[in-house]
Amino acid sequence: MLKILLKKQLSEIFRSYFYDAKKNKARSRLATCAYMVFFVVLMVGVLGGLFTYLSLSICRPLAEAGMGWLYFALMGLLAIFLGVFGSVFNTYSSLYLAKDNDLLLSMPVPVNAVMLSRLLGVYLMGLMYSGVVILPAVIVYLVTVSAGAGAIAGAILLPILISLFVLTLSCALGWVVAKISLKLKNKSFITVLISLLFLGGYYFFYFKAQTLLSQLIANAAVYGAKIRGTAYPIYLFGMSGLGDPVGLIAVAIVVLALFALMWALISRSFLKIATSSGKTARKEYRETRTRRHGVSRALLGREMAHFTSSANYMLNCGLGILFLFIGGVALLWKAGDFLPVLETLFSDDPEAVPVLLCAAVCAMCSMNDMTAPSVSLEGKTLWLAQSMPVTPWQVLQAKLRLQWLLSSVPTLFCAVCAGCLVSASPLERALTILLPVCFALFTALLGLTLGLKMPNLTWTSEITPIKQSACVVVTLLAGFLYAGALAVVYFLVGYRLNLSLYLGLFALLTLAASAALYFWIKTRGSRRFATL
Amino acid sequence: MLRIEHLTKTYGDKKAVDDLSLHILPGEIYGFIGHNGAGKTTTLKSVVGILQFDEGEILIDGKSIRTQPLACKREIAYIPDNPDLYEYMTGIKYLNFVADIFGVSAEDRQARIRDYADRFELTKDLAQPIAAYSHGMKQKLAIISAWLHQPRLILMDEPFVGLDPKASHLLKGMMREICQQGGAIFFSTHVLEVAEKLCDKVAIIKGGKLIRSGTMEEVKGDDSLEDVFLELEGEQC
Repeated sequence: MLKILLKKQLSEIFRSYFYDAKKNKARSRLATCAYMVFFVVLMVGVLGGLFTYLSLSICRPLAEAGMGWLYFALMGLLAIFLGVFGSVFNTYSSLYLAKDNDLLLSMPVPVNAVMLSRLLGVYLMGLMYSGVVILPAVIVYLVTVSAGAGAIAGAILLPILISLFVLTLSCALGWVVAKISLKLKNKSFITVLISLLFLGGYYFFYFKAQTLLSQLIANAAVYGAKIRGTAYPIYLFGMSGLGDPVGLIAVAIVVLALFALMWALISRSFLKIATSSGKTARKEYRETRTRRHGVSRALLGREMAHFTSSANYMLNCGLGILFLFIGGVALLWKAGDFLPVLETLFSDDPEAVPVLLCAAVCAMCSMNDMTAPSVSLEGKTLWLAQSMPVTPWQVLQAKLRLQWLLSSVPTLFCAVCAGCLVSASPLERALTILLPVCFALFTALLGLTLGLKMPNLTWTSEITPIKQSACVVVTLLAGFLYAGALAVVYFLVGYRLNLSLYLGLFALLTLAASAALYFWIKTRGSRRFATL
Repeated sequence: MLRIEHLTKTYGDKKAVDDLSLHILPGEIYGFIGHNGAGKTTTLKSVVGILQFDEGEILIDGKSIRTQPLACKREIAYIPDNPDLYEYMTGIKYLNFVADIFGVSAEDRQARIRDYADRFELTKDLAQPIAAYSHGMKQKLAIISAWLHQPRLILMDEPFVGLDPKASHLLKGMMREICQQGGAIFFSTHVLEVAEKLCDKVAIIKGGKLIRSGTMEEVKGDDSLEDVFLELEGEQC
């Protein structure tokens, strides 16, 4: 029985390699192999390579300072962090939101077997994410420092203990996520907020990592003594990586005890959790005064409601809004630091600075591409837009207006910040502001055009049109290409022109392209939308 | 009210609807029956302007759905076989959205939402996101939204699927009300007993072709509709 369930669970985990959800059919053998190779390259080559590089940088200096335990403690904690972060949402969905829970529970299958098969998926996910950190770490230690019996024992047992601990923590946190999500209102905004905080934290640590590591290596003895004195379990945890018997036994006892406790807790609550609806508390309707709105306002409201209801939509297609505001504030706040650097760099050609700032604003603006997946996002509800007394052009206009509203204001803000700071004539400043705003219009039109050209209305998960559709990728790339071209063309030929002329020409070309796209959407695009 | 003349719709090489003609008069409940894939949904979708057809003409109150789609759509309402509604909206937001699109005044929509939602016992759930609704609740919401602008012609594809007996009874009553007010109903169904009891006229379609139509008495005579339907299906085979 367990074997069948495990097979089912594994086929679910690796389903995307064998099945194309977009085309709703099985992938070819070649495509499956290509996807698997791509995944292995990504995990082992990119992530594994990153952590191998990190291990190589800190392993020998710490080991030579007699702080081998600190190396394993650091890498082990990193592995736990990545393992838990990578698998906690999978735990939540696979344990508590699995669609086949009811089906399996209605069959003559022991509850423990269902639970065990679900946990296997979580364990594999945790093992994969923690493995890309801890496996390079132990291999680097064995190769560069010591391959003695103790080190080998640590190298074998530590990854196993870490993966078990990751499973325990993921289950506990998954339970917390489930409990919180039952009570949360405005889930999409909170998800966006948490994701942005994580992204901010990630970039903060990424930029500070080199400094932190240098400090750690330089003051390894001091930090080591502090950790040993105040957080002895971390010391023992690090010692287990060196194969220290006391450390290994202590860590193994704690990890196994916590795992047993988690198993007991989940066994007791699994049935209740698995059969709970997962829906938020019922909110009762109270009649309030309503106002009548026009058709355009109603259609725009519909687009806005869709955008703000989906964390995926906001994060993947509206991140530029935040970047543009942050960029604008950063320009004003840090102008004294980096403008002199830019002006020194381009002292021969000071007119390059406004062009580069324009390109930067456009690059940030190109991260807003709400229109690109908007046609595909109609999905199965397309019949509504097609059967209502509205023209296709009205529906498409609402999509354009949403992006224009959400993207033009932050673009204008950021462009004004850039335009105010550069040393240029009033006309040049005006064009520095105007060009990104023209681009904001162009990118909205381009996204919608591509969305109409490459629609995918048969998706099963909203993430498919938002993240995995060709129109979104092409729109994003075209936006970055535009920003790149603005700078590159300037350095190739544009510098020969007057700055106003160069920016003016680019703005004119952008407006002309926008007009052509607008005309296409209004005529052929509308007809295309009507016949989708 | 509705005039379908020589409607033909093809998908690739396959004729989904083949030279179909039907006339529906004000005050009529017109049933549309046929096996799976017979062309019922294609016909209904062509009438409401979702599908572009190859040949023929569809007139709603004398206006062509081809040349005056907006004018036609303002007069009608459509409920598909699967109520895929905007799941990111709450029930009340969806109803207000539909009311805005059809230009229903604030007072009228409030009164109608109150009335229909109370009848379908959906009032308390209107603040919930549609994603949290069951199939039956979505179907009820689709019905309320269809009735919201008081259309003259309502087209429904399998409207009773997913409805509880009380809601089904209510819907039948509402269909009658529309017809008494001079409107008309054109709906497809597989439940022949319902069609037999509810419809004034019935049309039977097979392989895209209309094989029989007329008043219930003309179509079934002294037999049951089920017997006639099965007999016609057999004859065609």
